[in-house]
Amino acid sequence: MTITIALPSKGRMKDDASAIFERAGMKIVAVGSDRSYRGRVEGWEDVEVAFLSASEISREVGSGAVDFGVTGEDLVRESLADVDARVEFSARLGFGHADVVVAVPEIWYDVDTMADLGDVAADFRARHGRRLAIATKYWRLTQQFFSGSHGIQLYRIVESLGATEGAPASGSADIIVDITSTGSTLKANHLKILSDGVILRSEACLVRARKATHEGNPVIDRIVAAVRAAL
Amino acid sequence: MPLINLPAFAGDLLADFERLKTLRVDTPVIQPAEPFLDMAGEDLRRRIFMTESETGESLCLRPEFTIPVCLRHIETATGTPQRYAYLGEVFRQRRDGSSEFYQAGIEDLGDPDTAGADARAIGDAMLVLAHRLPDARLKVTLGDQSVFEAVVAACGLPAGWQKRLIHAFGDQKQLQKLLGELADPKSPGVFGPEVERLAIMGILEDEERLVAHIAGTMEATGYSTNASRSPRDIARRLKEKLELATTRLDKAALSVMREFLAFDLALADAPAALHQFAGRSGLKIEDALSLFDARVAAIAKVGADPGVIRYRAAFGRPLDYYTSLVFEVEVEGTPAVLAGGGRFDRLLTLLGAREHIPAVGFSLWLDRIERAIALAGSAK
Repeated sequence: MTITIALPSKGRMKDDASAIFERAGMKIVAVGSDRSYRGRVEGWEDVEVAFLSASEISREVGSGAVDFGVTGEDLVRESLADVDARVEFSARLGFGHADVVVAVPEIWYDVDTMADLGDVAADFRARHGRRLAIATKYWRLTQQFFSGSHGIQLYRIVESLGATEGAPASGSADIIVDITSTGSTLKANHLKILSDGVILRSEACLVRARKATHEGNPVIDRIVAAVRAAL
Repeated sequence: MPLINLPAFAGDLLADFERLKTLRVDTPVIQPAEPFLDMAGEDLRRRIFMTESETGESLCLRPEFTIPVCLRHIETATGTPQRYAYLGEVFRQRRDGSSEFYQAGIEDLGDPDTAGADARAIGDAMLVLAHRLPDARLKVTLGDQSVFEAVVAACGLPAGWQKRLIHAFGDQKQLQKLLGELADPKSPGVFGPEVERLAIMGILEDEERLVAHIAGTMEATGYSTNASRSPRDIARRLKEKLELATTRLDKAALSVMREFLAFDLALADAPAALHQFAGRSGLKIEDALSLFDARVAAIAKVGADPGVIRYRAAFGRPLDYYTSLVFEVEVEGTPAVLAGGGRFDRLLTLLGAREHIPAVGFSLWLDRIERAIALAGSAK
């Protein structure tokens, strides 16, 4: 049986992932030209590589169409329901660090915790005639964190696919849930992270689809062991 | 168009509704999604079936009837009081059971006699269930958020804490967590460095200076043009938060609150028990109790068997438009809720009604009733 590993098709993520696999003794070479979307691993006949976009990788691992994928934990947890039953985070790769955080306007001096935010959300409607609006592309993570972990129900999500930090200033939302690595973009937009508002500390991971056919397959264990040893 | 998947008893149920002098209404299956998400919160999104119109309006398959019936009432500018009945399919993903199922019920809008209307809602729900399940012993659980609100207010807690507790009512876990925090405040609240700076500068004690400072900062950062919360909103909440942080519920008040939340007794015994409790703990909650007493008396008057109704003080629904009465009806010894209802005096204004319209209603889970009928039949 051939094992398929999905890797990012471009950018820093692609280079960093390739470097780790090379250190693991799994040098990845493109099949055909450099820009090909298929690859193989030198000396590993039963392994093939698919170069995909980061969001496709989480979907393909989730459905089991590929066996392994390298992508951000945030994307995997956002795109899959019941994530821990469907995939295994086999190794954290130490690059692509970013936190998914809840950030509110700096000027909200009275809001520093999720409990504060819950208070504000609870009577937002009575005061402002509408629910507290959150701009984000992380629907699932936001719902899990707000309702699941903090019992906050009364808010509305406003989908935002880019420049989310600008939403509170432009008036399209009150607060945001977004990804940040240094926090400087948030600061530049006069936003602050709540003290207990880190939803997820994400980084690039080697993710395995939980498939019955993996049971007792020595190649699976060898890949995981090789990558872990290279970290 | 007669639907072949209608429960067999649908016709008899509608005849009951007619005898109860209600107006049968139908609402479109495809509804605007906004009002449901606005009232129930973002969590509902995962459970309803959404789509979009050609012009980008969010639509959904009707997940329940109360909101559409109320919206229809507002749109058609029908006078009150008005009692509506409905029976139709609703669409909602559930943990158990199919995600398309029938619900029926009554919404009673605008009756100023709250106790009477409450009692009638409970009585009607019990009556139509008894007609479907003549041999079953029904069990009714009744709760009342307004009594809880009165107890919280009488305990003398600051407004911020009252809001938190009332908001958590019906959510046992959250409520117990808050009471724990009140008894034993672990953290004095988290305040940012900016707030500490303001405290040192003495701006924090002076609301006017604080408002001016916030307004000035908003101006300087270019945030003010679209600010959703005004400088005064922020200043007031900051003051509330300072109180939240320094409040500690003394042991006596905490045990009063816990004693109240533990009440679970026959409805007939509840008025006397609540008055004794209020007297014993020195709480001034007469107003809320007199409404409660009037409802208990009205329930006896509509002929509902008070012997099968229990009052549970902690029983509530964590939706912010329910204001006082909530109730559920089950068959004794089975876990399925066959009917659920309550008073939602805030909902019509939230949905855009210009005047205040008190409202109470209930809905029946027809698929569960069908199952209960089948179970009763096979037991014979």
